[in-house]
Amino acid sequence: MNNNRPVNLDLTTIWLPITGVVSFAHRVSGIVLFIGAAFLVWALDASLSSAAGFAQVKQLLAENFIAQFIVWGTLCALAYHFVAGIKHLIMDAGIGETKEGGKAGAYFTLIVSAVLFVLAGVWVW
Amino acid sequence: MTALTVSIYRYNPETDKKPYMQDIEVDVPEGKDLMVLDVLHLAKEKDPALTYRRSCREGVCGSDGMNISGKNGLACITPLSEAKKGNKLVLRPLPGLPVVRDLVVDMSLFYKQYEKIKPYLQNDTPAPAIERLQSPEDRAKLDGLYECILCACCSTSCPSFWWNPDKFVGPAGLLQAWRFLADSRDTATAERLADLDDPFSVFRCRGIMNCVNVCPKGLNPTRAIGHIRSMLLTQSA
Repeated sequence: MNNNRPVNLDLTTIWLPITGVVSFAHRVSGIVLFIGAAFLVWALDASLSSAAGFAQVKQLLAENFIAQFIVWGTLCALAYHFVAGIKHLIMDAGIGETKEGGKAGAYFTLIVSAVLFVLAGVWVW
Repeated sequence: MTALTVSIYRYNPETDKKPYMQDIEVDVPEGKDLMVLDVLHLAKEKDPALTYRRSCREGVCGSDGMNISGKNGLACITPLSEAKKGNKLVLRPLPGLPVVRDLVVDMSLFYKQYEKIKPYLQNDTPAPAIERLQSPEDRAKLDGLYECILCACCSTSCPSFWWNPDKFVGPAGLLQAWRFLADSRDTATAERLADLDDPFSVFRCRGIMNCVNVCPKGLNPTRAIGHIRSMLLTQSA
């Protein structure tokens, strides 16, 4: 007799509704934001170190695709985290707590942040 | 008759070290839509050792909650036409709870959370000669709350409950917590709120809304949790 009972928790087999996808992405964006902040702090520190350091960071952000991509990625994470957070505040006010309302809120979050992703890209490049 | 492949989660603690998925072919009659529970009966004819819970076969008892093609639901009221993907139906036990055998899970943790919220009317005023009366308006506040059948479809679809089943009350328990907080005949509001006022019991809810999306009775734990949170906030202010 096997007393060690198994648990069915294979996440690849479990359906995640759109509200769940948006919530999961909210958490992921927080992690990306945390990691991206390390680059931003480094860039800030380097730009304040000396006139040469400032010029170096300026050049990096103007010409290096990887640096630009990191900045864009961090901005996207910030935008998504912000919009999803606003959705939470709206839900805390009792709006969009129904099945359909939750779905609408999820699509609202995705669409608004997609627009912000594009705007962030335009700003960076 | 059309052939249907039913892929079922099998685990026998007497013989199996690990659970596995077993494909059972069944013949489904054409011209009518079976419920998933009917398909389970057909599969059980092929393999009588197949184990699952069921009782009322009409969505009232809440015994046959399971993960049907990825989504939690009651087998007896989930039509095969909605549940099958192509010509395949996948049945797994409710996620997150220990599996006793095949599709039967140990619901102890779920019941423990239900017990925690003291799911009974508490009133310290002297009992009147007749029933405790309630206005139709106050009674209406219990609609959408009292209908819960404790099938555990919601709580076992909730990631917050998966990771903290011992500390987070979960959607089913919290819907009932709100059912008694909202009851005009209950006088233990302050004590009930005090019991819930910690970082885990209520506040582990992240508004994922899996509960609302799977509830076979169409109830809304997310809204109930929102009401409890607002009440905790106004109490502490």
